[in-house]
Amino acid sequence: MFRAALRLSVSGARSLTRSRPQYTASVAARSYSHGKQETDEEFDARWVTYFSKPDIDAWELRKGMNTLIGYDLVPEPKILEAALRACRRLNDLASAIRILEAVKDKSGPHKEIYPYVLQELQPTLNELGIPTPEELGIDKA
Amino acid sequence: MKSTMSLAKPAMRGLLAKRLRFHLPIAFGLSLVAAAAFKFTVTEPRKQAYADFYKHYDSTKEFSAMREAGVFESVRPTGK
Repeated sequence: MFRAALRLSVSGARSLTRSRPQYTASVAARSYSHGKQETDEEFDARWVTYFSKPDIDAWELRKGMNTLIGYDLVPEPKILEAALRACRRLNDLASAIRILEAVKDKSGPHKEIYPYVLQELQPTLNELGIPTPEELGIDKA
Repeated sequence: MKSTMSLAKPAMRGLLAKRLRFHLPIAFGLSLVAAAAFKFTVTEPRKQAYADFYKHYDSTKEFSAMREAGVFESVRPTGK
């Protein structure tokens, strides 16, 4: 991504109109230019597996979520579902609700993302009995 | 038109990258413009003012005027 930014600042505004090559994953755990680039699907699958570990512990949940939030993306609903189920296994409702707050925060100005994610997670939220911050009235400062 | 039944999947990846792709060139451009504006409204006029001042500066005459005004310790005014 930084390579793209550098190219752009040198070549100026006209490069904005050219379509850019799509990187298959917007994240790189390591910024090597060698080696196979992980696809979005592989990335998602890796994270679903991470949170689906039956005996995941509280540290791993926190570490996983913090790492995930550090990326330039809003996690896919399927990753979030696995994380919420991990919260259920750990009896951690607070973290489950915090995950929803984090999704809204990661969306930034893109207000259409959070309602979409909630829509996709609704069955899971109902099954696990997780209230949303809005339902609890804690979404307003 | 967005259906009220279910929301379409929005873009969820690379949102910061997209924002930077747009804003960074503008930021660099504006910085360069700011630097150029400062150069041509402040530094160049200032340099010109100094150049103009010293173009016909007679240091000996100025020194003598200061000497007579008595501001030096190392030389006294050409006393009478």
